[in-house]
Amino acid sequence: MSNLLQEIEAQISGAKAAVAKQNVGVVREIGDGVAKIEGLTDTMLNEMLDFGNGITGIALNLEETEVGAIILGDYTAIKEGSEVRTTGKLLQVPVGKGLLGRVVNALGQPIDGKGPIKSDTSYPVEKIAPGIVRRKSVSQPVQTGIMAIDAMIPIGRGQRELIIGDRSTGKTTIGVDTMINQARINKAAEAAGDKDFRPIYNIYVAIGQKQSNIARVLNVLEEAGAMPYTIIVVAAASDSATNQYLVPFAGAAIGEWFMDNGMDALIIYDDLSKHAVAYRQVSLVLKRPSGREAYPGDVFYLHSRLLERSARVSEYYGNGSLTALPIVETQAGDVSAYIPTNVISITDGQIYLETDLFYQGIRPAISVGLSVSRVGSAAQIKAMKQVAGRIKGDLAQFRELAAFAQFGSDLDAKTQALLERGKRIVELFKQNQYNPMPIEAQAAILWTVQNNFLDDVPVEKIKDFQAKLMDYLKTRRADLLKKILTEKAISDGIAADLKAALNEFKPTYH
Amino acid sequence: MKISKQALREARELFRTCQVNGLLDESRVRQALALLSEKKPRGYMEILGRLHRLVKLDLERRMVKVESATPLPPDMQNDVAGQIKKKYGNGMNISFTQNPALIGGLRIQAGSDLYDGSVKTRLEKLEESFENA
Repeated sequence: MSNLLQEIEAQISGAKAAVAKQNVGVVREIGDGVAKIEGLTDTMLNEMLDFGNGITGIALNLEETEVGAIILGDYTAIKEGSEVRTTGKLLQVPVGKGLLGRVVNALGQPIDGKGPIKSDTSYPVEKIAPGIVRRKSVSQPVQTGIMAIDAMIPIGRGQRELIIGDRSTGKTTIGVDTMINQARINKAAEAAGDKDFRPIYNIYVAIGQKQSNIARVLNVLEEAGAMPYTIIVVAAASDSATNQYLVPFAGAAIGEWFMDNGMDALIIYDDLSKHAVAYRQVSLVLKRPSGREAYPGDVFYLHSRLLERSARVSEYYGNGSLTALPIVETQAGDVSAYIPTNVISITDGQIYLETDLFYQGIRPAISVGLSVSRVGSAAQIKAMKQVAGRIKGDLAQFRELAAFAQFGSDLDAKTQALLERGKRIVELFKQNQYNPMPIEAQAAILWTVQNNFLDDVPVEKIKDFQAKLMDYLKTRRADLLKKILTEKAISDGIAADLKAALNEFKPTYH
Repeated sequence: MKISKQALREARELFRTCQVNGLLDESRVRQALALLSEKKPRGYMEILGRLHRLVKLDLERRMVKVESATPLPPDMQNDVAGQIKKKYGNGMNISFTQNPALIGGLRIQAGSDLYDGSVKTRLEKLEESFENA
C-alpha cells in the first residue's frame, strides 16, 4: 500500500503544469467581416485565428504593422480591443463517407438538422493540387445522361468541363441531371452486384445561391433518390462573403478525400461568377489593390488553384478521380468578359448554353459550335464513338446549310437529305429536365438515326417515335440494351439485332 | 488616414536609423524629431504620424507584463526577470502588476507572446473541455 502512495506522490512531483506559448494580438479595426489586428507577430498566412466566443477568422494579409483577417461567423460580436490568438492550424473541414446525404456549410457543419456528422478525418481547405507524377490522362467516362453531351461533348473522369451561359438557360439543370444519372448508375450496379464497378459520388457546391434555389435542388435530388450519393455544400446569398469565398475550397477538400482514397467523385461549383464577386468584396475591404472590373489581381489564380485540384490520379497512387463541372453565368451571352475567359482557359472544354436556342424550345440549349470537350473523347465508350462520331460534323453542316436554305428553294437531293437529317438530330437531342437517359439507350437511338430508320418519320413525330421505340426496346428487347451496355460497342451481331428490332417495331408505329 | 508611399518609406528609413544594434535609441529618436520639425520636409506630418506608430509598436513589442494574483516577492521577481532576459535579450521593459482575478499562477505577456499559467485560464480550459465532451 505504501508503494502505491509513493508512486502517486512521484507522479505528483513529476507532473509539471505545462504552460504553452501562445501568440496574441489586439483588434484595432473591425467591420464588413474583416478585422485589422495589431500584434500576432508569429501568425502564418491562412492560419485560423481564435477571436473567442467560438468565432474564428483567417489571416489573409500579413503587413508590416498589422494582420488583416476575415471573420467566419458573426463579426458583430467582436469589439475593438478584443484579444485574438493564433491556433497554429489551417482551416479544416470534416471529410469522408459520413457526409453523404448531408447538407453542410463552408466549415463542414451540418445545416440540415439531421444531427452531427460522423467523421474522424479532416482535410485542410487549401491544398496543393496533385502534381504531374501522380496524374494520369482522362480515360474513363462520366455519363451525364444528357444525349447531346454524351454524344458530342463527352466528359471523362478527372476532367474539368465548364458549363457557361446566360441566366436561366439551364446550367444548374445540367449539373443536377448529371448527379441524378450518377445515382441511377450507382444504384443499378449495386443491384446487379457488379464488383468492378466504380461509383461516382456527387458534391454540389452552392455559392451565393438563393436559399429557395438550393432547397429546390435538394428536393429534386431527394425525389430522384440521388441524395445517398450526394453531399451539398452551401454558402447561400445571405451568408457572409467570407463563407462564399471559402465554400468551393471546402467542397474541393471533401471531393479530394474520395480521390485520395481511390474513389471517383464529381463536383459541381454553382457558380464561379458569384464566387469571384465574393472574393472581390473580401479583397476590396482588405484594401488589396484592384485590377480589371475591380477584381483583385489574383482572381485568375483563385480559380486555377481551385480547378487544378480536380484530377485523375494514376493507378499507383490509388486510381481515384475528381471531375469538376464549374458553372459560370455570362451577361448577355458575352463569353469574352473577364471571369468567363479566365475559367474557359483553365478548364478542359465548355458547354455553352444559348438563350435563343432555349426559347426556340431546344432544351438543353447547347450550342454545338461553341461547345467543346478537349479531353473527353478519349473517355467515350466505343459504342458511342461508333454512332456519334459524325454527329457533331453533321449538325455543324446543318446549321450552315439551314441559314443558307432560307433564301433558296431549289436544293439538290444531297443538301435536302442533310437538312432533313439535321432537323431530326436536333429533335432527338431535345430532352426533358431531370430525366437522364442511359448510355445504351442513347447508343441505340443514335444508331437508328445514323442508319436511316428515321428518315421517313415526320420531324414533329420524332420525339413520339423515340419514346415509343424506347418503350419497345425496354420491354421487349431489354436483352439487346443490356448487351450494348456490357459489350460497350456495337458489334455486327448487335447491329443485326438492332436492325431486326427496328424492322419489327416500325410497321407497328403510327 | 491615407498616407503616401514616399512618407511610408521615409518613416521606415528614419525608424531604422534610430535603432542601434536592433534596439531603439531614445536620443536618436528625439534628434530625428527635432530635425523633422526644423527642416519640415514634404509630408512631414505624415512621416511623424507613421514614425509615432512604428515607435509605439516597437515599445509594445518590448513590453513585458507579468501579472500575478498576489504581489510577487522580490527574489521571485528577479528570477522571472532573469528568465525573460535570457529568452528575449536586453531591452525588455518588464512591469509587475497585480490581478486578483487570476486566482493564482502567473500570466506573462512579452510583446505578442503569451504564457498563461493562471488558475483562471486553466479553469476556463477545463470548463471548455467539459462543454465539448
